[in-house]
Parts: sequence; structure tokens; C-alpha cells
Amino acid sequence: MFRNYLKIFISVTRQNRLFTLLSVFGISLTIMFIMIISMTFENILNGSGPEEEADQILYAWRLKVTGKDENQKYYNAGALDQSFYTDYFNDLKSPEFVSLIRESIWEFIYKGNRYQEVCIKTDGRFWQIYDFDFVEGRPFIQEEVENKNNFAVISESLKELFFGDEESVCGRTVEYNNLQLVIVGVVRDVPATALNTQASLYIPYNLVPVNSYGTYTGGYQIVFKAKTRKDKPAIVAEVQEVIRRMNAAEEEQRLFLPGPNSDLDRLLIGYGDPEVYSGRTKPLFLFFGKILGILLLPAINLMALNFSRMRERAEEIGVRKTFGATSSIIQRQFVFENIMLTLLGGLAGILFSYLVVALFGSEIHLPIDSYRSVEINYSFNALIFLVALVSCLLFALLSGVLPAARMSRLKPAEILKGGEL
Amino acid sequence: MISLEGISKVYRTREIETLALENVTLNVDKGEFVSVMGPSGCGKSTLLNIMGILDEPSSGKVILDGEEVEKYSDKRIARLRNRKVGFIFQSFHLVKELDTYDNVELPLIYRKVSAKERKERVGEALALVGLSNRMRHYPSQMSGGQCQRTAIARAIVGNPELLLADEPTGNLDSKMGREIIDILQKLNDKGTSIVMVTHDETLANETGRIIRIYDGRLIN
Repeated sequence: MFRNYLKIFISVTRQNRLFTLLSVFGISLTIMFIMIISMTFENILNGSGPEEEADQILYAWRLKVTGKDENQKYYNAGALDQSFYTDYFNDLKSPEFVSLIRESIWEFIYKGNRYQEVCIKTDGRFWQIYDFDFVEGRPFIQEEVENKNNFAVISESLKELFFGDEESVCGRTVEYNNLQLVIVGVVRDVPATALNTQASLYIPYNLVPVNSYGTYTGGYQIVFKAKTRKDKPAIVAEVQEVIRRMNAAEEEQRLFLPGPNSDLDRLLIGYGDPEVYSGRTKPLFLFFGKILGILLLPAINLMALNFSRMRERAEEIGVRKTFGATSSIIQRQFVFENIMLTLLGGLAGILFSYLVVALFGSEIHLPIDSYRSVEINYSFNALIFLVALVSCLLFALLSGVLPAARMSRLKPAEILKGGEL
Repeated sequence: MISLEGISKVYRTREIETLALENVTLNVDKGEFVSVMGPSGCGKSTLLNIMGILDEPSSGKVILDGEEVEKYSDKRIARLRNRKVGFIFQSFHLVKELDTYDNVELPLIYRKVSAKERKERVGEALALVGLSNRMRHYPSQMSGGQCQRTAIARAIVGNPELLLADEPTGNLDSKMGREIIDILQKLNDKGTSIVMVTHDETLANETGRIIRIYDGRLIN
């Protein structure tokens, strides 16, 4: 049976070259797009740069504050206030390290050019949680942070910008918000896919005061590093116990803190109401919904092409049914053909993405968030190919099943006498 | 072989309702060769389609080889068409993307016959219609007569007991038409029941019985 399907697929492909070319090209662009997105996601989730041990790290990153009345619809949600680090989470037993991160955009004009870089405000433990590659000097340590020493660590590219090819810049200063900061270390540039650690400037968090509004929300995420992956549930339990105690003591407000979450969970939960989205089913559903969304538009396009192609082949459907094909056999044949077509497109898509990465990778910058972008210079691996393959199949089913089902239901008598389809 | 009891067929569109067949009762015995005649649009093809379960009647009963065909599943109807009935159409209806061999093989594929047996039976069917030397030709590379012979080979390759032919010579010149009728005659001699729609009185007279239809009704 499949030999017959294959034979007819090859013959139809040869005879409808324009349709085949259009379909394959459309599919290949979609697959290329999906592959590049997947490579970026894979880099983020696998922990690139200093975030190699991402699977041992959890983040308390978003807090919801409402009134005590559970029916109250209004809430305030945002990053955490510094007090969680200094007061509430400072003596937890289960994490190996607790740190904090506040990212901000550092805008400056240098030699007539305007720059926008990321500045991370953190503490001394940050450098113990993440594995930075120091090309010069050292990190600032906890004691120096507590002493509010005006120290800074900079990235290699910032060093190059300010100091050209000077060999050593430790001891030199860099100005940030009217503060003269002494450079103690230079780190190798961190890829933008390392979402929590990529910056050009790293400074002690307490050098720049942050306004606290007395609502527990502020600009920080608290980072917990577990000794092993197995310790993560204990950290979650301990943090939630702290929140429970805080809620018990609070008279007017109620706090809700998701997690602490891994990077993946954080991406899945997104920025909706954390209480609604912190279960995993709904975020996962939303995530795959987005992937389906990416596939849907070209799939609808291919579906329309498929409809017209199948109408042209109505006579063949009528003949096949006359000589014993069931509706499901007809459906299988057309879905099979669509899978073959999509695989051809997928193959072209893989080839295109390989070419794009090889030829233009360093010139194309994919936006990671509103102020960071990344060069496309990843390596292909089995997982990426698997994503491409699964996307192809999903694409084939999305675009092929409906037209095949509709056409297979036609009665042979209607088709063969040339009736209206 | 096949009985129709009180068959009516109404085609409905948004604007009009057309009565294609009205209370037709008919019996075709095993081994019979029957011609169906009548003016264009009188319901001949509709009758043939209902006999071959390609279409459903609006009312009445179809009994094919002792089995009443009513509310059968898609699978069962496909099986009946595949095993009991062979079809020949005026415009051949060959799959243009497949060559002669693959076109003739089609009913056997749906019957899940082994590759070896398929090869034998396709060879026999093509030999019977004199196309053994055209196995790898595509429909576009053959004459009308050769296409119709391919269509006959496809119709008989599964050894159906009933052959339904809808104006099989309608698109052919008289010489080729003659060849086709001779082949059908040979098949009938071997015991295959045949119902053939035709406009040609001479050809009809060569068959065992002529059924005439006018405005969807059988007339004697």
C-alpha cells in the first residue's frame, strides 16, 4: 500500500512542480524559523556561559501582594524587595548559597556614541553560584559588599571599549551613576542566552539605594543554589514556610510567591497573575499553544493549497473509492503525501538554517528580550533535529488532516459524474 | 445476482428537487447480460450507481448477492464494491499518475492480496484484454480503446460477479467499440453478470435483455 502511496506522491510531485516548490519553500521557512527559535531556547534552558549548573538554581522572582480578602481582584505583582534577602531568606538551611540580582539598563555616552548595557547589582555569593571566567582580577567578595566598597567587575568587551588593548585594567575606575567604581576583575563576555548573568557591569547591590514602597515588591530576584538537584524541593518548602509565617503575621496583606522556580518554570509562568499561572499544566499548555500558533498560519496556508490540490485529484479519490478504498484509506494516503511533502520542506529548512547560521549567523541578532539580542552561532544537535522532525509531523497533520477528511467523505458517484464538490 | 425493490432517487439542491428514479424494481440474475437504454438524463447512470453501491437510493432496497445493502458502514460498503462489483466508465477514469499495471492492480491492493498473486492476476487480466505489452504505459500514452481495455482489466482483475459498464463504448469509434463488446461478451460467457448502459441499439440487441428507462421509470 505504502509503495503505491509513494509512487503516486512522486508522480504528483513531478506533475505539479509549482505547487510542490511553493509548499516546500513555505514549509522550509517555517521549519528554519522553528529551528532557530529552538536553538535559542535550548541554549537558554541548558544553561549557557556561567549558568552551566542551571539545574541546581532556583529563583524567587515574582511576588503577588493582595489584601486579606480572597475575593479581592486587585493585586500588585513584581520582583521582590531587598528585605527578602536581608531579613526573610537570610538564614535558610537548605540552600548552599542565597544571592540576589537586580538588572538595570545602563545608558551612557562615550566618545560621542550612545551605549545601552546591562548592569547587574548583586552580592559576593553571586560569584560562587555562577561560574564566570575571569580573564583578569577577581570578583568582589561578600565582606566587601557588606562594607559597601566601590568595586566593580566588568566584561571583556567593556574593557575593550573603555581601555582599548591595555593589558591590565584592575585598579582603574569606571563611572556609574556618578559613582567612581574601582575595577577588581574582568570577565569573559557572557552570551545573551545566559539570561541571569549577562551584563557588562557587575556592582555590589547596596551601592545604589532602591526605593522600597513597603509592599514587599521591589527590583530584586533572590537566587538559591542547591547543593544537589535533589535538594531543590527542600528549598521550595523552606521558602514557602517563610511566606506562610509572613502571611500569618500580616494583618492587611496576603503574599503569594510562586516556586522558587527553575528558569524553565519561570519562562512558562510568564508575567500573568502568578497565582493563576504557577501550576505547570496551564503554562505548558500555553507554551505549546504558542508553538502551535507559530505553525498555524503557514499550516492554514498549506491547508488551503492542499484543498485545491485535492479538488484537482477528486477523480482519483472517486476511482479509488469505487474500487474498494475506504474513507480512512483515502485519508491515510493524503496525510502520508502531506507528511512526505513536509519532510521535504523540513529537509530544505534544515539545510537553509544550516546555511543561514554558517553564512550570516554573526550578522543576524535575535532579540532575547527588550534590550538584549544574540548572534545566531549555535551548533546543531540531535535535539534540534528532533524538534524539526516533530514540527514537520505536527505541521503535516495540521495542514493535511482536515482537507483529507473532507475529501475522503465524498461519494464516488458525485465525483465521477463531475458533480459539485 | 442483484435485486432492486421500489428504488427511488431524488436529487435535492437549494433551488430544485429532481426525481432521477421512481419506484424501480428490477432483478438481474447470475450470468445475465443486460442492457439499459433510454434518453439522456433519464436516470440510467443513477440506476447503475445505485446497483454498484456508489450512490444511495432515497428509498427502496438493494439486495446484492443475497445481502441487503442498508446502512452499511463505510468499511463494509468498500469491501462489497471491492469484491462483488467491477466498474467500467465511459470516460475510463484511470488514475493518470499511475501506469497500466498500477491502475489494474488497484482493486487488489485494497483487498490486501500478496504482491506475487497481484502480479499473476494483473498479468492475466491484461492478457485477456490484449494489453500485456503496454504494462508500463501511462494513460496519456495510450489510445482511447487501450485506455478502456485497461479499465476493463481493472474491473475484472478481482473476479467480480457483477460488472457494471456505463456507456463503455461511448467515447470510442465503432471498431474499438466492437472490440470492447467482444471482450465483455467473453467475460459473460465465463459467467460474469453484466449490466451495460448504452445508447447503441445494435450493441444492446447483442445482450440477453434490454431494460428501457424513461423519466426515471422502467418501461417495457
